[in-house]
Amino acid sequence: MAEERIRIALAKGRLEQDARGVLTAAGLLARENGAANRALIVPGAEPWLEFLLAKPADVPVYVEHGVADLGIVGLDVLREGNYDVYEPMLLPFGHCRLSVAVPRDRVDAYHSLRLHPNPRVATKYPNLALQFFHARGVSPEIIPLSGSVELGPLVGLADVIVDLVQTGRTLRENGLVEVRVIMESQAVLIANRASYRLKEERVGEVIRRLRAAIEMSE
Amino acid sequence: MDWRKSVITNGNRPPGRPLPRGVVDRFWQEAAALREVQGSLRDLFRRWGYSEYIPPTFEYAETLSTGAGAPLEEQMYRFFDRDGKMLALRPDMTIPTARLVGSKLFDQPFPQRFFYTGPVFRYNEPLAGLQREFYQAGVELIGVEGAEGDGEVLALAVAALRALGLENFRIVLGQMRFFRGLLQALQLDRRDEEALRLALDRKSDPALQALVDAWGISGRAREALMRLPRLHGANGVLRAAEEVVLNAQMQEALDNLRAIERVLDAYGVTRYVTLDLAEVRGMDYYTGITFEGFVPGLGVALLSGGRYDDLVGKFGPAHPAVGFAITLERALRAREAQNVPAVRWAPDVIVGGCVTAAGVSAVQAARDAGVRVAWYYRAEAQEEVWAHATAVGATWAVWCEGDYAWLWREGEAQQVPLEAWVQVVLDREAGA
Repeated sequence: MAEERIRIALAKGRLEQDARGVLTAAGLLARENGAANRALIVPGAEPWLEFLLAKPADVPVYVEHGVADLGIVGLDVLREGNYDVYEPMLLPFGHCRLSVAVPRDRVDAYHSLRLHPNPRVATKYPNLALQFFHARGVSPEIIPLSGSVELGPLVGLADVIVDLVQTGRTLRENGLVEVRVIMESQAVLIANRASYRLKEERVGEVIRRLRAAIEMSE
Repeated sequence: MDWRKSVITNGNRPPGRPLPRGVVDRFWQEAAALREVQGSLRDLFRRWGYSEYIPPTFEYAETLSTGAGAPLEEQMYRFFDRDGKMLALRPDMTIPTARLVGSKLFDQPFPQRFFYTGPVFRYNEPLAGLQREFYQAGVELIGVEGAEGDGEVLALAVAALRALGLENFRIVLGQMRFFRGLLQALQLDRRDEEALRLALDRKSDPALQALVDAWGISGRAREALMRLPRLHGANGVLRAAEEVVLNAQMQEALDNLRAIERVLDAYGVTRYVTLDLAEVRGMDYYTGITFEGFVPGLGVALLSGGRYDDLVGKFGPAHPAVGFAITLERALRAREAQNVPAVRWAPDVIVGGCVTAAGVSAVQAARDAGVRVAWYYRAEAQEEVWAHATAVGATWAVWCEGDYAWLWREGEAQQVPLEAWVQVVLDREAGA
């Protein structure tokens, strides 16, 4: 079964450029298929390969259902859902952390999170935020937002936020201070459980070539 | 026709009746296809000497919890009986089978072989055709330990997927005792064991590496652990695994797999089976081999099973047991993906205006010959019968006029003597 086709779902946005870089270095993605191309399905540099550009949160969904065999997505997005996929390899980009942040003038008050019975938490990661607070015996009021979470405390919608922090600049500019790290995140290669078995050779080849490209660049 | 009216007012449609999440109405194609696959599996299981077990739909929650692993127990539907006792809907068929054998059939001759087919109930998120009520068909072989029993059930799993009309499927075979032996050698505490199990279940090399580094494992144990994720595939896995054996339990696991290979070879089905010694799913349930079946075109497993030698003993005298279950909704999806011809669910023939002695006798003759015939009583003209046949997806339609019948098929009608239409249909269907 050598002529198996492999489809890889790529998270658009934050990880896209680095992912394209590694894939190009591995000879899996042709250089001319650059970021300017708006197509959602992009042919790979091999005849058996194609790429699917998806919103980050949709990447594990495509892979779990098997419409994509492999995917590149952030660990943050992967852990936020409960997806039954394999995670054979971490990729050396997209490093960031999911953190709890509070307004600068409230840092002392949030020194001990467990002393707040039900903080209002604005976040794009309601499941991870809930797990984090629950594990500390705190029952937060989760306010799910889909963007500009930093705004929450500024306008009085929330007491704290749970959000991704890369450099910390956005937090500083909005008068927020990181008080806890929930998880460290980076890009990860995920695989569909059936594809991992049924297309073992090709999946293995993609992993080997990515690994070689990453080692070259290090 | 005024298109705005048809789009906006939606005709005279009555208000909908919602269904609870996780249940579906099965009718037409869906129902026919489900019964078809149930039927072919039932025939197959009987030919392998398995007899049917029809377990109760609900029983005491405590009984079901006795056998269920933690993830399954969380998914059980529980409710109260009138006397206040807690009941639960069966979350699988294996636990009731183990209860039956352990508590009622313990002094009967062994081995015992049961198959089952029917719905089970779990709180889960619908994925790939799997609702909260879903259909399983499977077997349990009780009282045969070791490779002979394992091999029989694996060979039957292959036969079952073939009976469903599927091709190019693969059964991934693991042996829980290999991993258990490794855990025994590593002497980890429960939390670390769980972290290790999770890393392996995700096939995450980086997570495994991080754990091995954090625990400071070295030497042969380190090598065994780091090689474990590579111990999968069709060829040479057992030989590679021999090199990292740390104790008797790991060796026994490999000996068992070798013996199974010989059984599968005898059945001529080795090409469907590939090994994966890093398969650690269902660890709190299975005691020996575990396996899952995958089909191209379906992103999830449609068959899973394994050996569970400790389960029957929870309900009575212990007996070794091994079995598998197929999720039928997924089997149907897989058949669609592999273009297995769909089952015909509509009547073959629609008959209008023939309710006379001769007309009825023709209809009955056709039915006796196995043709599916339905009456359409309201017709005043043959065109109405043709239209109705088209609407319900019937191949043929019949309209009676005195001693003659008009026989319609695919837009063309021919006139034949009244009782002759049956033979025309039979000849044509036999040819097709």
